[in-house]
Amino acid sequence: MLEGVPILSIIIMLPLVGAIVTLLLGKHDKYAKWVAAGFSGAALVLSILVALVFMVHPDGSATGYHQGPVAGGEERFFSYQFYEDYTWIESLGINYTVGLDGISLPLFILTTLLSFLAIVFSWDTSNRPKEYFGLMQILEVGVLGVFVALDYFVFYVFWEVVLIPMYFMIGVWGGPNKDYAAIKFFIYTHIASLAILISIMALYFQADVHSFSMESIAIAGTTEFNKTFQVAIFAAMFFGFGVKVPMVPFHTWLPDAHVEAPTAGSVLLAGLLLKMGGYGIIRVAIPTLPDGAHELVYVIAIIAIASILYGAMLCLAQKDLKKMVAYSSISHMGFVLLGFATFSTLGIVAGVFQMFAHGLVTAVLFMMCGVVQHKTGTRMIPSLGGLSKKMPIAATMMTIGFLASLGLPGLVSFAAEFMVFVSMFNEWALWLFLPIISVAITAGYYLWALQRSMFGPLTDKIDTSHVHDVDWYEGVPVGTLIALIGIFGVFPYLMFQYITPAVEIVTRILGGG
Amino acid sequence: MTVWNYLESLLPQLILVIFALMMPAFDYLFKDKRLLSILALTPLVALAAAVLSWLFLGVWEPARSNISLLEVNAYSGLFMLVFVSVGIVVVLGSPEFIRKDRNQGEYYSLILLAITGMTIVAESTDLIALFVGLEISGISSFALSGFRKSEKRSAEAATKYFIVGGFSSALTLFAISLLYGYAGTTSIEGIRDAYLSPSPEDWVSNADPILLLGTVLLMAGFGFKIAAVPFHMWAPDVYEGAPTPISGFLAAASKKMGFAAFFKVFLIGLIFSITQWEAAAAALAIITMTVGNVIAVSQTNIKRMLAYSSIAQAGYILIVLPVGTQYAVTGGMFHILTHAFMKSGAFMVVAAMGAVAIGEKLDDFKGLGRRAPWLALAMTLFLLSLAGIPPLAGFASKFVLFSSAVYASSPGPDWLVWLAIAGLLNSALSLYYYARVIKYMYMEKGPPEPIRLTPMLKIAVAVAAIMVVVIGVYPDPVIDVCRDAAEFIFPLA
Repeated sequence: MLEGVPILSIIIMLPLVGAIVTLLLGKHDKYAKWVAAGFSGAALVLSILVALVFMVHPDGSATGYHQGPVAGGEERFFSYQFYEDYTWIESLGINYTVGLDGISLPLFILTTLLSFLAIVFSWDTSNRPKEYFGLMQILEVGVLGVFVALDYFVFYVFWEVVLIPMYFMIGVWGGPNKDYAAIKFFIYTHIASLAILISIMALYFQADVHSFSMESIAIAGTTEFNKTFQVAIFAAMFFGFGVKVPMVPFHTWLPDAHVEAPTAGSVLLAGLLLKMGGYGIIRVAIPTLPDGAHELVYVIAIIAIASILYGAMLCLAQKDLKKMVAYSSISHMGFVLLGFATFSTLGIVAGVFQMFAHGLVTAVLFMMCGVVQHKTGTRMIPSLGGLSKKMPIAATMMTIGFLASLGLPGLVSFAAEFMVFVSMFNEWALWLFLPIISVAITAGYYLWALQRSMFGPLTDKIDTSHVHDVDWYEGVPVGTLIALIGIFGVFPYLMFQYITPAVEIVTRILGGG
Repeated sequence: MTVWNYLESLLPQLILVIFALMMPAFDYLFKDKRLLSILALTPLVALAAAVLSWLFLGVWEPARSNISLLEVNAYSGLFMLVFVSVGIVVVLGSPEFIRKDRNQGEYYSLILLAITGMTIVAESTDLIALFVGLEISGISSFALSGFRKSEKRSAEAATKYFIVGGFSSALTLFAISLLYGYAGTTSIEGIRDAYLSPSPEDWVSNADPILLLGTVLLMAGFGFKIAAVPFHMWAPDVYEGAPTPISGFLAAASKKMGFAAFFKVFLIGLIFSITQWEAAAAALAIITMTVGNVIAVSQTNIKRMLAYSSIAQAGYILIVLPVGTQYAVTGGMFHILTHAFMKSGAFMVVAAMGAVAIGEKLDDFKGLGRRAPWLALAMTLFLLSLAGIPPLAGFASKFVLFSSAVYASSPGPDWLVWLAIAGLLNSALSLYYYARVIKYMYMEKGPPEPIRLTPMLKIAVAVAAIMVVVIGVYPDPVIDVCRDAAEFIFPLA
């Protein structure tokens, strides 16, 4: 099944075709949401099919399988399924190469899922719907491309394609300070991209294999890249990817972008764009430049812990519900970096799983912020209060989302964060006390915010007479996500079965067990 | 037969000149002046088709003549393609813009003559022929920028351009005379051979003061042509004052002629003294791109902003000189080609707005996304391409260009990599002012009434926009041709 079908390219092309159709609708822009939902829904269905085929045939016997290079009986680089390889720019050695492995699969599914749900969530968008839904689909194309690209040039092209729709989403549909936020987002992350670009050029010429293939360059690199080179390029790449994660102290674009972005934009930004940074580190930077990673391991660990703690403390100080959720992303993505920094299979698996978990949870949180804003007209915690009386379903969903995010056992984030803690204890023993402080802070800011906004006496600072509960197009996406949060919280193995074999290759490259 | 041989290799220029000379006559014959533009398009389209079928399809080979002053090869062919493509876009964009002006015949005539001069520069193998080409195109360009002679701005632009252009010609000529004194020849390859001369009594130093003075003056003379900082002062004023299609012509074609001369003379004739001038060229490149971008940020007039942006782009292309490899020339040629499309396209959008009597200030672009969706989309593509965002043409060419500096630093001197870093940082800076225009077009409210465009302007903008996308998505054949062209500068490797 699926043998010989360019299934990944089809999944990437679906939203692109959808975007073109949407933009060409002309005066019939009330159909834009139907077109967008149709095409991204089809992409979602196909990607689930891909995941099932992957699960049934983990050895790739039923799909386009690309065995990684083997030396001494061990795989030296990743093996991929659904592999496609076409010549694109011959004179520079650029191929259109895509494939999927256990590290990219969770994020690939997350992308099609969140894009579809974000489109459903935006069902009542009436301001320029054509452009809105068109851009959302282009964004989906870019993110999907990043997660499957196996050629640096293709990777970079998709990476940059993501910026433009997000710039427009913030700039056109954003809040009062959207101009500043949009341009800050664009330029900040573009500078980071350029650090990645120049690293890619350096890798290409240093490896001297006349190919931009990640695999060829990594293999050539084992002999061609000396330690100084690796440290320099790893630092540049880590900066480039880290801005996107975002890591302290390069996180300042994120709160601005989130506060101004429309809800669906925030969902995609926090749910998907941040994952691109983490994915870049684990897919590109660490396996290609293992010596550089070893040299800078403490830098990664310190930045990770700083992000975890500083992000959590910033949350305590926020009055704006959405800004609080935005800062919590910094804290939670710090766990991803911390897991990677242990260089152990357990830690890296936990890091990748945390990306998936955070994608689900943060989408719920941003959607609920959007619901609150939509119904009450404000997101300021001091103006809210007692909303559970007016909107019980919303309050329930928000409570579940907050509990998931603070790491309640049985929900998805717990598995990831717990594993990060275990792996860190294995590596650095009692230094674990630093990140573990954040558990208390996180519980603090979430419960405090919940108490002030949802429970207690009904607020009299705003007019609550028209406040009603969630609409169907809001409830369905959030409900779906909450169901998945529960399922993957109880059965994290569903994802680990994909992630672990691929991560074992990373740890082997890093020279550990 | 020998006469025919001479003429055959000059055929493109002859065709252009004949059409140029016929133009004023047809001006009297035709009532509908739009026919003039179609007449002017004829030789340009024919030449573009011929060059395309030669370079990309290899259907035929041009005649090689034994005129020692000119040589037709892939390098000159690629430049001719740039010049005639810009010519096509500009001529398509002109009729609407100048429909109320007199002497339209002369307008097209001057464009054709300017292109003739440019092609001679690209084909020349001798400094004298090169100078003649520079002058032919220069004098036509002066007249073109002053085409609206009753308009104060236009006349001012022409006067300024004329004085600066005359000054730079004088510098160039003086430099040529010094190089002649040094090498005893004006042939570009002859200068190189004079240094490589085997007999010891002919041996001359590559640090000879006469040579260095000549090099510096030549850099200044060509620097004026490409508007490199600090020889750039004329460019914004001229671009702002000249009729908008002509601004596009100057930025996208005339400037490229300067690079045709620059590459030829410095990387063939003066390559032996590269250690003497590479630092100066690197400084020129970095200063040019930085100053161009920094000043562009504060511009509120789109034409001036595009003028400074093309100064910055000239800075990017200048890194070819200090890097000085075949790969770098490939990147430089590639960027010259893509820049020709994106810059002329951007100017045509401004011209389209001018043609319907909308201004050229940033404020006038407010709400363009609503008023003329396709025009705004095309402008967005041009601006993002200029900023180097994939998958557009500007990204592909910048990628090759900047990576050549990274490449040269793996075996060569390490400082060259800073040229690539400077270029990338500048690209990030430039994104700010390009994105601002996009913001005005889509995120600000403007007057509601839609803008109607004439079909020719639509075609002009569409041609440029399609090229920007197509080259960006599939650059392979273009890179191959650029590499062939670069082989005439660096035959080795």
